[in-house]
Amino acid sequence: MNIFKYEFKTKLKSMITWSLSIYAVILIFMSLYQNFAEQTSLMAEMMASFPRELLIAFGMEDMDWSTILGFYGLAFVFVQICLGIQAANYGFGLVSLEETEWTADFLLSRPVSRRQIMTSKLLAAVTALGLTEIFIWIASLVYLIIFRGDELIPLEPMLLLLFSLPLFQLFFLTVGMLVSLLVKRVRSVTPLSMGLVFGLYTLNAFGDMIGEDSFEILSPFQHFEPSYIVKYNSWNMPQVTIGLVISLLALAASYWLYGRRNIASAV
Amino acid sequence: MNIFLRELRANFKSLLIWCGIVILFSVVGYSKFSAYYNNPELLAVVDAMPEAMIKAFDMDSFNLTTVTGFYGIMINYVALMLSIAAAMWGSDVVAKEERDRTVEFALTLPVRRSRLISAKLAAVFVNCMLLLFVSWATIIVMAQNYAPDTQFYNFVSTSLWAFFFMQMIFLALGIFLGAVLKQHKRAGSLAVSILLAAYFASILTEVSDKVSFLRYFTPFKYFDAQLMLREARLEGGFALLSLLIVAVALAGAYIAYSKRDLYI
Repeated sequence: MNIFKYEFKTKLKSMITWSLSIYAVILIFMSLYQNFAEQTSLMAEMMASFPRELLIAFGMEDMDWSTILGFYGLAFVFVQICLGIQAANYGFGLVSLEETEWTADFLLSRPVSRRQIMTSKLLAAVTALGLTEIFIWIASLVYLIIFRGDELIPLEPMLLLLFSLPLFQLFFLTVGMLVSLLVKRVRSVTPLSMGLVFGLYTLNAFGDMIGEDSFEILSPFQHFEPSYIVKYNSWNMPQVTIGLVISLLALAASYWLYGRRNIASAV
Repeated sequence: MNIFLRELRANFKSLLIWCGIVILFSVVGYSKFSAYYNNPELLAVVDAMPEAMIKAFDMDSFNLTTVTGFYGIMINYVALMLSIAAAMWGSDVVAKEERDRTVEFALTLPVRRSRLISAKLAAVFVNCMLLLFVSWATIIVMAQNYAPDTQFYNFVSTSLWAFFFMQMIFLALGIFLGAVLKQHKRAGSLAVSILLAAYFASILTEVSDKVSFLRYFTPFKYFDAQLMLREARLEGGFALLSLLIVAVALAGAYIAYSKRDLYI
């Protein structure tokens, strides 16, 4: 319990910063909706007359920006990037920070098993991520309602979108943790999490534009793609399963690796 | 010179990883493109469209049946990756001495602080150039199967300049943050925030024309792919603006670091 409290306290500030910046992202983006909607209604009519192959080729197939939820889907990708970096930061730093800051030997001399340490730390990170998500849910709902005009928001796809966030963050948390345990030493967390999140993001964004699925089925940006959720009113189940399996495997492997890890110490 | 070489060696692994990412990305991209290259159905569709409509939607420039059009789409993502790499290297190269508790040692060496910064700057600069070179080589080599024409080569070489400016902006900003911020830990996360904000701003400018002034605040929008493709040139004003940002950031870094109170 002490470890949990301590860990949560160290995450508190970063949690608040992330929540507020994502809140700002949603607010700024949604406030542009009215202006955007006027421009797009014309575009949408024109695009409806295009052949499908063409829309695929120019990456416009799943675009439906004329509804507020479709528009929110655009912002949602950016929210995903931010939440992904937050989760990856927590994951990469979870146990490796103790070694970077030479506090691991102190921590491991406490009368708790490594398994317990790991569990408390994970719970603290999950709590912080969960609170961020709740904040984002509320902010999204509020601004969807404020800026919708007299449009009706379909309930189900919206909830599916919002409830995809925990699984999305779980992926980056666990994969980050696994990578940090696979390498000998993590010098600094940010480059790693930026590389992981933006690597997977570009892989999906670019891969999505053209052609068949290949590597991007490994990317959570593909598993929880907002345009898919909004269009088909459901999660892309096979892909969500891939993501979940990767997360659980990474989680199990992390416990195993941490249990037998050779800890670097100052002396 | 020793510091320079040491930094190069220290960053070598990270350089290799980034090269790997860029190469993997190109391989995936080109393999997908091969399905569209000279695809008869698509060509027929494009041919059947009225000239004016093609013009209106810029489809001649980003026509996915040609390698040039494909590169026009790819260009944004390459720019994003190169910028991230530059921002990470820049913010790390100065700040890491304090993080790894090696700053006292580094500063007891018989060189001035400004020399230290110069050597570190040179090392990360070389890294950025190597990464740029690898990206260029990958793009060109992989394009050979798809009958690249002179327009394609011009487009690629112009885009290299755009990449160069973006890299330099983020590199200089990173070094500036590393030298100025009292807490070395903040440098990396602030560099990330700036990059994210710039990327977000670049998305916003696409969504609404009300916020087109944001273009000046996001390097991702300084250089228009259309212009690079059509006229093989960059907008001079934005090139100057980039140089100005780089100059100010670097000057700030030198001044701040020479007075820096070390965190030990």
